[in-house]
This record gives sequence, C-alpha cells and structure tokens, in this order.
Amino acid sequence: MLSVKGLKANVGDKEILKGLDLEIGRGEVHAIMGPNGSGKSTLAHVLSGREGYTVTGGSVTFEGQDLLDLEPEARAHLGLFLAFQYPVELPGVNNTYFLKAALNAIRKARGEPELDAVSFLRLMKEKLKVLHLDDSLLKRPVNFGFSGGEKKRNEIFQMAILEPKLAILDETDSGLDIDALRIVADGVNALRSPERSVILVTHYQRLLDYIQPDYVHVLAKGQIIRSGGKDLALELEDKGYGWLGAEEAA
Amino acid sequence: MKATPGNGFAPWLADDGPAADTGLAWLDSRRAQARAQVRDQGIPTTKQEAWRYTSLTRLLEQGFTPTAKATTPLEPRDLEPLLVPGLEAYRVVLVNGRFAPGLSDLQHLPAGLRVGGLAQILKSDPDALKDRLNGVAGETQPLFAALNTAGLDDGVVVLLERGAQVERPIELIHLSVGMDEPRVAQPRHIVALEAGAQASLIERYLSLGEALYCTNSVLELSLGRDAVLKHQRIQTESANAFHIAGLYLSLGAGSRYQCINVGLGASWARTDLNVRFTGEHAECDLQGLYLAGDRQLMDFHLDVDHRLPNCSSRENFKGILYGKGRAVFDGRVYVAKDAQRTDAAMSNRNLLLSEGAEVDTKPQLEINADDVKCSHGTTVGQIEPEQLFYLRSRGISAPLARRMLCLGFAGEILDCLTPEALRDQVAEQVGSRLEQAPID
Repeated sequence: MLSVKGLKANVGDKEILKGLDLEIGRGEVHAIMGPNGSGKSTLAHVLSGREGYTVTGGSVTFEGQDLLDLEPEARAHLGLFLAFQYPVELPGVNNTYFLKAALNAIRKARGEPELDAVSFLRLMKEKLKVLHLDDSLLKRPVNFGFSGGEKKRNEIFQMAILEPKLAILDETDSGLDIDALRIVADGVNALRSPERSVILVTHYQRLLDYIQPDYVHVLAKGQIIRSGGKDLALELEDKGYGWLGAEEAA
Repeated sequence: MKATPGNGFAPWLADDGPAADTGLAWLDSRRAQARAQVRDQGIPTTKQEAWRYTSLTRLLEQGFTPTAKATTPLEPRDLEPLLVPGLEAYRVVLVNGRFAPGLSDLQHLPAGLRVGGLAQILKSDPDALKDRLNGVAGETQPLFAALNTAGLDDGVVVLLERGAQVERPIELIHLSVGMDEPRVAQPRHIVALEAGAQASLIERYLSLGEALYCTNSVLELSLGRDAVLKHQRIQTESANAFHIAGLYLSLGAGSRYQCINVGLGASWARTDLNVRFTGEHAECDLQGLYLAGDRQLMDFHLDVDHRLPNCSSRENFKGILYGKGRAVFDGRVYVAKDAQRTDAAMSNRNLLLSEGAEVDTKPQLEINADDVKCSHGTTVGQIEPEQLFYLRSRGISAPLARRMLCLGFAGEILDCLTPEALRDQVAEQVGSRLEQAPID
C-alpha cells in the first residue's frame, strides 16, 4: 500500500530524513517511535504534503502512485489521512459544513455521487455513536475553543467520516490524560479494519498499551534503525532509546 | 480655495436650478443654505483628513444628470428575483431614488407605523417633516450631505409612534436601473422611533444590470427614550456605481441601536456613520463587513460622539480584500470630559488575499473623561498557511479552502443578520463574490 524508499528531506538547509525505508501493507498497524528530533513528525508531514519540506531524494508510492508529486488534497482523495499533532483551529468554519465539504470533495474525486444533507447527517450520527462522542461537536466551529482532548477526538471523528485507507496519527497521544487517551485509542481501534492501515507516530510506549501495533520501528537521526514486533516497544520502554544508540538529539 | 464640484452635481447648485423652488419656504431656504455651503466649502482634497485616502476625482469627472421623474416602468415581477426568499416585510421601494408605490407593499401597516415616500409626504403633510429634515444631520453639513439637501428628490419616511412595536421588518429597497446616461439619485430617508418603540429596518441598495450611476443617500435616524432598532444595511450596487451614504443617528436615553453594514457592491463606495447620544444609558452596536476586489474602493467612516455619561458603543468592522481592491476604515470614538463611565470598543480586522490589495485603517479614540472603559484594535493579515493546509489535507481544494476560511472570517458579522433567509442570501453573495475573486 505504502512504499517509502531511501527518502531524504530537508527543512531549510538541514537534512532531517536521511534515507528512510518503510513498507506498509493493507490492514497493518505500524508504530514509529523515536526520540525528539529524530524526524518522526517530518515523516508524517512529508507524507501528507505539507509545505516547508524539500524532498532531496528517494521515493514514496501509495497505491501504486507517486505520492510526492501530488497536492495535499489529491493525497486525501487517494485515501491518505493525517491526524494532526496540533489540530488547527478554524474560527467561523462550522464542523458539519467542513466535514461535508471534505467528504464530498473526496467522493467527487473518486467519481462517487456526493452525499445530500440528510444522508450526511445520518452518517455523522452513526459515527458519533461508534466513537461515543457528543453531537454538540457538529455545531461548533472546527477545533475552535476545543480542549486538547476534544481536538484529538475531533481528529479521530474526521477519520471515521472520511474512512481513509491509510491514517497517520502524529503524536495523537501527546498532551492527553489517561482517560482522554483511552477514548482516542478506543476510537482508533473501532476503526481498525483489514482495509485500513495505520501509522502511529509516538514518542512513548504508553499509546501502544491501548492500540496494539503489528510492527514497531525505531526512527533515529532520520533513518529507521530497528524494526520488530510489538515487543520492541516494551524493550524500548525498559531500556530507553539509548539502548539502540539513538540518543535524544541535541 | 473655492471651487464648485464637477459638472456631475452642478445642476443642483444653480440658484435658479430645478431644485430651487419646491413651494415650501422652509425647504427652499434649507436648500439655498446647502448650496451656499457646497460653494463655500469647495471640493475636499486628499489633504483633508476625512478624504485623505479617498480621491473624489473619478466621481466628479462623471457627467451626471439628475434622475428624471419618469423612470423605467417596472413591475413587481421584475423585483421578484431580487427579494429575500420568504421574507415577510413592510416593503417600500424606490427606483432610481423615486418612491415606487406600485412595487411597494405597504398595505395593512400596523397601528402607530407610518411608512411612505418623502416627496409625497412633503406635499400632503409637510409639517410632519419640517422639524425632522436636517433635524439630526444639522444645518452645517459636509459636502455630500449638503449636496443631498440641495438636491434631494425623494426618499423614504418611517415614523413609529410612542410604544409601537412592529414585529415584521420594514424593508427599504433602493433599486437602480441603468438609464441612457449616468444619473444621480439623492434620496433622503427619515426614520424616527418615538419613546419605547421597537422595530427592525432592512435597507438594501441594489441594481438591475451593471450601469454607471451614483447614489448619494442621507439617512436621518432618531431613537426616542428606550426605543430599540435593529438596522441592517446591505449594499450590492452595480459594479460600476458610485455609492455614497451618510447616516446621522441620534440615540435617546436608554435606547438600543444595532446597525449591521454589509458592503459588497459599487466601484466606489463611501459610508459615513455619525452617532450622537442624546440621553444616558443608550447602547450603540455598529457591525460591518466589506469586500473589495479589482477596481473597487470601500470606505467606511465612523464618528461616534460620546457626549453624555453611561453610554456604550461597539464598532466591529471586518474586511476582505483581493485583486487590487482598496478599503479605508476611519473610526473615531470621541469621549467628552463629562461622559464618565463610557464603555466603547472598536475593532477593525482585515484579510488581504493578494499582494495588490490595500487597506488604510485608522481607529482613533479621543478620551477626555477619566472613568471610562475604552479599547481599540486593528489587524491586517493573510490566510494562515496552517489553516489552508489543514483543509487541503482533508481533501478540500485550495480555492474552496480559501473561500471557506474567508467565509469563516466573515461569519461573525454574517451571523448577526436576521432572519436566517437574509443571512443566507448575503452569505451566498459573499461566497459567489469570493468564487470570482482571482486569489493568488
């Protein structure tokens, strides 16, 4: 589904990703762990097409297409979704209106008919129920005035509506207390399916207690230095990143 | 230096001109006085503070002629597509500045409400207007108000008696229709709510076609003690029009006034809002939204005069500019020495969507009292790249994402509009304007 080969990327003049390889198959959940400054968020951003990064080498193919050539919206149309570490507030933009515009843009790009207001509302109610969310969420401006936990839940809610093929969760656990973390993790688990792959980008093993990954990769200094099963995360928890020679960046 | 305005307004300035003899001595003398003022003042230049950012050259180069009495015969079905869907209102319509009874809907006015054409009332019941015409605007007037006084042809009169509460909005439609040559319409509107009266007024400036014309309107409004008025002003003139509006407001003790200004149309638009409190504990809330694109100027001047204690005012204007659009916001809040416990907050925020767009914003607080709560703020910014990326990462195209963010920015003002049908219509107009905007 996703194939990253020798990916190199800069922020300004600084090389952050230094030849990164990653293969993700359909329905798999991969955790990417690593110390601060290792390039975890850069990877998430480069995959989603955020400005400010220059790819200097390597390739990324998603569903057989060259991902790096595409605009962010075209990547979303293909089925890519980024749950932001810091979800952006959009004052004045209603959550329902926003999600309907997003879903219909994706459906249109795929040649599917757009959903009318009634069907869309039904879909939203259904997903709210699955995720145990309050429907006051629908009337509010996107993320505006939301608490940290509400913002993360809104990301998962968007993911539930847009039904991506590959979801990248960028430090979704950061800033959450244990209850909020459990709610978010339950949401992600509810959306796991043989058709949907997930990349969990995280600093801590904690999230992986709630969302069990199939694979764990350790990213350090812009490269994946170790890959393994979920036990690798426990080992890291025990021994720290230093164990792999992946010290915190200065 | 003394000068006469360009030939556009010359016909009204001759002492033997068409407007000189109305048959009412008091009106003739006010007109003569206004003509003298225009001649004495001359044309303001950009050296004068009130016109620093807005040049009158293009306006005064035009060869306007007065609106003829006979206008294009319009039928109610011509008006139909311009109406707010489902809006039930007492409707008074002017075509090219002249009251059009055939298009108006003034049947079954409730007790205590009088709505009619100014020219008609000047004929049938001039005493009802004698103290009101210039009653709020005063005898000494700036250029365009004086020109309006010198040349006023018609307008709308709304009088609401003591304690009368009108549920349905009163809708004032000023419709312009292209003529064979550019015309000037100078309507004078008089709105007066006596003590305890409550109403809602929707004032719309529209056009059929994209003709070049000029509207120079003056609205004098007075609220008696504890009167309440919601006033919504929607300006969607032709893209080639000149639009001038002077509002003179007198707010009595305990009265509450809200004015929502939406400026979308015209090639050159200037609005002056002059607020004077005439009693304590009055509240004034001025909201505004303007869009300016290529070859478009939107100029809002606010002058809020806190002369008495214990009054509050809000001034909240937002602008979206694109292409080579230009806007001016000049807001002045004056607090007199004795106006203690004044509560005033002014804000002007602008979103610039292109390199070529420009806004000159000048909020001013002039405070002479020591026990007041006053603030002002102004911002000029662009669409946040973070917000744009967030929307695009959800599959929304860049142009739609920009439009959504602009509408979100405008939403705070749009959401003040009532009923919902009016809000939706204006939001759609804003949306379609943004759709045509060449956003870099």
